[in-house]
Amino acid sequence: MQVFELGTFLVSIVTFLIMFLIIRRYGFGPMAKMLEKRRLYVETQITDAEQNRLQAERFLTEQQQLLESARHQAKELLDTARVRADELARDILSDAQTESRRLLEENRQLIERERAEVLNGVMTSVSALTVELSEKLLRRNLSHEAHQEMVREAEKLLGELIC
Amino acid sequence: MPAFPYLFSNSIFRINLVTIAMMILAGLVVLIVLRLSIRKLDMRNPRGLQNLIEWAIDFTANMARDTMPSEQVVQWILPLAFTMMAFLFVSNWLGLIATIAIHQQQPIPWLGITAQSLAMAHGEVPLFDSPTANMSMTLGMALMVWVLSHATGLRRPKQYLWHFVKNPLGIMEEFTNPLTHGMRLFGNIFAGEALAGAILTMPILFGVVPTGFPFLLVWLLYSGFVSTIQAYIFTILMTLYVGQKSFHGGVHHS
Repeated sequence: MQVFELGTFLVSIVTFLIMFLIIRRYGFGPMAKMLEKRRLYVETQITDAEQNRLQAERFLTEQQQLLESARHQAKELLDTARVRADELARDILSDAQTESRRLLEENRQLIERERAEVLNGVMTSVSALTVELSEKLLRRNLSHEAHQEMVREAEKLLGELIC
Repeated sequence: MPAFPYLFSNSIFRINLVTIAMMILAGLVVLIVLRLSIRKLDMRNPRGLQNLIEWAIDFTANMARDTMPSEQVVQWILPLAFTMMAFLFVSNWLGLIATIAIHQQQPIPWLGITAQSLAMAHGEVPLFDSPTANMSMTLGMALMVWVLSHATGLRRPKQYLWHFVKNPLGIMEEFTNPLTHGMRLFGNIFAGEALAGAILTMPILFGVVPTGFPFLLVWLLYSGFVSTIQAYIFTILMTLYVGQKSFHGGVHHS
């Protein structure tokens, strides 16, 4: 009785290999393909989700930055406007003051000048009248020098009188 | 010894027809179950048989990951490991579910059923049996794994030779490993069937009380456990032997 059967030994190997090839081709293959597809799908989904999360975070940060900068800008604008308004007000005020001062000065000078003119005219006519009057009163002829002397004296007196 | 029908029974090249037929049957069962499971493949919500098969594939892959150096090799061995486990599981259980034998009085010479073998087997000719209860078949599987592992190792000849130089006693293992690998499976399944057969011959008291029945029940439960475990052990040893000789791929992936 021989226990080891060489034929069975070899044929079983061949049979198993054939069965294996058939099973791999028609049974295991589609299943493995599906599993691989699922693995890829899950991987893609995870990658996508991660990317989306990162993008969302980036957008959020960007938005926050934008908001911050906008707020900053608004504050700056407000500050500048306030400063400019202050400056403008100050300018207008100083301009008005200068203008009024100038007008005042001008008017004063004008008055001064007119007064001086009037005084001059009055003085001239008064001195001439004085000389004529004194001539008439004294009825004597005065020398040219004495006449000049008298006019000067009269002018001096008048000047003292006015001032 | 039961009188198995043989082809070429008088030559050295004897083929046990029952073993080969049962192998084909086991393969067909695996194939049919797989076809049923992929009939309604659904990537997003798997259901029913698909879940079971996916779990089995996952289980096999994890088993291979535990014993092999790189994911690349795991993916390479996965179809074979899965087929091997499913095939051996079905094979081991086939003999548990039923062993069918017919009583044959007339010798059939061309199938190797001679008067002598019939006399030894009390005329019993088995037709339905575990293919793994045949020593030649399990040794054939073991040899296949052995060849596969060495073919894998020879892809990197330098490292292959170097690992023998490093561990000369390993050369001894190369001869004992396939032997124990095959014999372990054969022994467990054969013992299970032999003892079940022996229990079946226990006498029936008064024609109604089967004394062997409780023993048979316990033994069948135990054999079922052993059948399942042996399919697992054979496959995990296969991945281990191939993994030990997978010198490539481990560099890229660890």
